[in-house]
Amino acid sequence: MRPLTEEETKTVFAKLASICGNSLKNLIAPIDNSPTADRYVFRVQKDRVYYVLLSMANLATTVSRDNLLSLGTCLGKMTKTGKFKLHITALPILAEHSRYKIWIKPSGEMPFLYGGNIVKAHVGRWTEDTPEHTGIVVFSMDDRPLGFGVTARSTAEARRLAPTGMVVFRQADAGEYLRDEDSLFSSG
Amino acid sequence: MPPSRTKTVKNKHAANGSGISGSKATRAGPTDGIVKNKKGPPPSSKPSNSKAIAAILKKRRKKTYSEKELDIPKLNMITPVGVEKPKGKKKGKVFVDDRESMNTILAMVQADKEGEIESKMIKARQMEEIREARRVEAEKKEGERKAALDETKDSLRKKRKRGGKPTANEDLDVKDTLLTGSNAVKAKKKRVSFA
Repeated sequence: MRPLTEEETKTVFAKLASICGNSLKNLIAPIDNSPTADRYVFRVQKDRVYYVLLSMANLATTVSRDNLLSLGTCLGKMTKTGKFKLHITALPILAEHSRYKIWIKPSGEMPFLYGGNIVKAHVGRWTEDTPEHTGIVVFSMDDRPLGFGVTARSTAEARRLAPTGMVVFRQADAGEYLRDEDSLFSSG
Repeated sequence: MPPSRTKTVKNKHAANGSGISGSKATRAGPTDGIVKNKKGPPPSSKPSNSKAIAAILKKRRKKTYSEKELDIPKLNMITPVGVEKPKGKKKGKVFVDDRESMNTILAMVQADKEGEIESKMIKARQMEEIREARRVEAEKKEGERKAALDETKDSLRKKRKRGGKPTANEDLDVKDTLLTGSNAVKAKKKRVSFA
């Protein structure tokens, strides 16, 4: 387990900023105003990036690298080419700080949770002025986060789109907890 | 070194040879079997003349450079990205863990992203404006065409009123024009009749 290098930090923040808005800086802000306040930090264990409390990260140094499987919240993994891939486990953090949101109708929940993209017919509502090819968090109509993806069209363009036209390309959905159960938590 | 050959001494009391001058025993060296190397005069270490000194000095002055010192670009060699290491730099990764530097990186990344999104929005807005302008233009053209058609219709109607009762043929003609929107002569239907 180690902190991120400057290059890695940039990559991770760039990815998070594509989905999150200005509130992203609250992610690393101290929890309270006291001088010895705890804060959240990023740690790399094998190739996974974890978002974890500093105090917990310090405690985790007592566990050897080989024996430490996971700590805190797994945000995603660093690929061997130096890119960062967000995992579905980062959804609670992304949903809290997301800039653009889309709510899908109950009829569209299952197709999305089985790994499909979102078509216009399934859209309940979405944030106005969303540009195309930008990160977006997918919610059900009762405000439960289901996953995230990238917009295929801007809101203005999507208005003229046919009901079967795609509006969001899926990147991760909550169904992965079952589908990728074997590979999601093992970093080997 | 091969072992020295042993000799058979016939008369060990004859200390100095056999007494016969030029015999084998008198010519031979020491009889103890050990042959010592004869040392010649030691080689003169000092150079004898100034010419040799000059030659040595000349040799010393000429410095030979190694390939590294010359800094010549290497030919036909691939240096992988990770292999080349800058000189005088600390080995290993540099971690970012303090809040200030994290905030700086975050601010930089966010400014970049903001700019990107802003430019996307501006572009989308411009495209929308262009589309709107095109739509308005198309509507205007459509309106003009409709107006021209109405005008033609009106003129034909007026003509009919002014000319009194039109003949049946004319009336049919007008109807045709109104229906098809053109004055093209309708082809007569082919008929087959049996006598």
